[in-house]
Amino acid sequence: MVPIKYNIRSIRARWVSSLMTVIGTGLVVWASVLAFGLSEGLNHTLEVSGEPSDLIIMRKGSTAETNSSVSESVAREIETLAGIAVNAEGAKLCSPELVVLDNVPRRGNGAGNANMMVRGVTPVAKELRGGFKIVEGRENRPGVREAITSRSMAKRFVGAGLGEQLYAIDSEPFLIVGLFEAGQGATESEVWSDIEVVAQAAKRTGVRSSIQLRTNNPTDAAALTDRIKNDEQFGLDAISEPAYFAEQANSGMALKIVGRTIAIILTIGAMFAVANTMYAAVASRAREIGTLRAVGFGRMPVLLSFLLESILLCVAGGVLGCLGVLPLNGLSTGTANWQTFSELTFAFRFGPMVLAQALLLALFMGTAGGLFPAIRATRLKIVDALREI
Amino acid sequence: MKFLPYILRNVMRNKLRAAFTGMSIAVSLFLVTVLYAYLNVQDEQGEKSKKFARIVVTAKQGLTFPVPIAHVDKVRAMPGVKAAVPLSWFGGKYKDEKIPFGQFATDPKQIMEVLAEYKVAAGSLEKFQSDRGGCMVGSRAAEQRGWKVGDNIVLKGDIYPVTLELTIDGIFDSDESSDQLESLWYHFAYMDELLKKERSQSAGNAGTIFVKADSPEKLDDLMREINLKFANTDRPVRAVTEQAFRQMFTEMLGNVQSYIRNVALAVVISLMLVAGNAMAMSMRERTREVAVLKAIGFTRFIVLSLVLVEAILIAVAGGAIGVLGAKTLFAMRDVVFRGIPGIAGFYVPWSTVIFGMALAAMIGLFSGIIPAWRAAQVSVVDGLRKVV
Repeated sequence: MVPIKYNIRSIRARWVSSLMTVIGTGLVVWASVLAFGLSEGLNHTLEVSGEPSDLIIMRKGSTAETNSSVSESVAREIETLAGIAVNAEGAKLCSPELVVLDNVPRRGNGAGNANMMVRGVTPVAKELRGGFKIVEGRENRPGVREAITSRSMAKRFVGAGLGEQLYAIDSEPFLIVGLFEAGQGATESEVWSDIEVVAQAAKRTGVRSSIQLRTNNPTDAAALTDRIKNDEQFGLDAISEPAYFAEQANSGMALKIVGRTIAIILTIGAMFAVANTMYAAVASRAREIGTLRAVGFGRMPVLLSFLLESILLCVAGGVLGCLGVLPLNGLSTGTANWQTFSELTFAFRFGPMVLAQALLLALFMGTAGGLFPAIRATRLKIVDALREI
Repeated sequence: MKFLPYILRNVMRNKLRAAFTGMSIAVSLFLVTVLYAYLNVQDEQGEKSKKFARIVVTAKQGLTFPVPIAHVDKVRAMPGVKAAVPLSWFGGKYKDEKIPFGQFATDPKQIMEVLAEYKVAAGSLEKFQSDRGGCMVGSRAAEQRGWKVGDNIVLKGDIYPVTLELTIDGIFDSDESSDQLESLWYHFAYMDELLKKERSQSAGNAGTIFVKADSPEKLDDLMREINLKFANTDRPVRAVTEQAFRQMFTEMLGNVQSYIRNVALAVVISLMLVAGNAMAMSMRERTREVAVLKAIGFTRFIVLSLVLVEAILIAVAGGAIGVLGAKTLFAMRDVVFRGIPGIAGFYVPWSTVIFGMALAAMIGLFSGIIPAWRAAQVSVVDGLRKVV
């Protein structure tokens, strides 16, 4: 093996050219990781949203709550079925809910409008959301035009901040009285108010969008699912929460495909650039290569040495690119969830997997870009190479 | 101009390097072109839709709220309205396709007056109008699924609790690319009848109303009048231009624009560094030659220009491959991917091609500046003495 010190010193000796290559590949990696982090953030939000023991009940054929409707009387019947868990006070953990969308402006100039999901709930709904707690302000009171929402929604939508008036659904505003947390899940993309208040505002009295309930154990869950599915009178479908949110990850799929495509194209582009740098390195160091060979290093060590140098340059770029995205980690953003047709807020997430992917890209750039120049280095005839000026 | 052969020869001197720089620019600008084309297509389609003088009426709260079907007749009766139809998104499942394509309930009597830019074979519109369970499909939708006139289609409702069984009566097409060509129209009355049988609350929802105005000049007045007409009813509406309606979907995606700009900026800077690096390598190898040029009387300005033009040539050649490659690729192939709104009927507009080529020239120029300046500064004596 040719000592790595040789490569490091060579990189340093041609530092301007090396630096340009490092920054060039770094920018490409940066752009790719940005896309990965976006799609990872979106998927994370949907993944943490479901509780395995919880069921969502919707009209047969609907794939999203926003498309579903269940009459109030059927919803009451569902509550009487066996297998539903009860809380400490003995109340059934069965929550009829009504979701309504409204096209509301985002904060910021030119940020445009988005469909905000307003969820009408009863007090039991909170118990069905893992990690739900009010972090600022207080809970909304039933029967009053008050609402609560998450911190990220408060930042994202006009009028959704604590103490502000949120104009949604009809001409009257909702007063935002509290901000909640709900384990980073999809609930943090919603505004909650009392179910009757929402129903009246949206003129949808007597209907619910869905029913969410908790079962005691998997056996009960299976039995209850069968009971609901097979009842012709109901015309309903019951699915577990994780399955429901997995279905919605379709929206995330598009983002993932786009991100991957961007990364692949950029990596190919960068490969050519790396090859250029390495060909120049080989050409200008012919004499050194001749010397290495003359003092006894074989073809393989020379090949590996140049390949290693190329990889070093690219991985340095990769690390730079990763460092460049870290300040954006946790930055909250949002996009449309086309399944529910509403805005899903989430945070950029550059987890270990994302960073590993980025470095893998850099490694690939270095290997593919450096391979042919390195082969050329091994092909130089010792005598000719030593004669080069 | 007389230096062109000399510059070209310089470009070709290290063929591999020129090719690699060019390819790096080609591949990366291909991507930037496609990304920007996505934004430009929305603008261009919106701009084009102006001449059709159409207004889209939705519920005030947005697309998920109903627009009563009775509103359609009321709008039709307003002065300045040429035709108006409901256009209601069904969003049903076709076979095992994951993402629904456009399936619209509409009024067969007036649909082709409102969407007047589409053409159908003689007789098929009449057939569609008299066939309650009939539908018209867009040429691209038909092509992608191998549909022919007379085929039966079953659409399972997701938003609506009904299943549609439709027969294809005709195929509509247009001269220009449009996302409507990926969709299907059927009788509103047919769907409504099924919904009423189910006693569904969704019955009687027009979804949106597409309005054709008498003239493009009257759009603003007409929109105001429509908004006013329903302002104090149970179901207030929002009338917007077709352009604004399209924009709503792009807006829903979030800050795509700034994301695309950031990626493009990173790519362009990266390419400047990469191409500049290659150019600097070339110039380092030619120091002695530059000194000779200067020794025989070439001015600094000419030396500088020679290098700049060389850099621009390489970048523009690479850019042309990438940008025109994107243009050709999407002109020949349909994008079947429907995960993103506005992607149906995707193409690369000429405005994006010009933008991409301008970017290429700019990359070339900036990548050449430092090497060119250095070449111009070479002192004759040092340069001649230098052993490379």
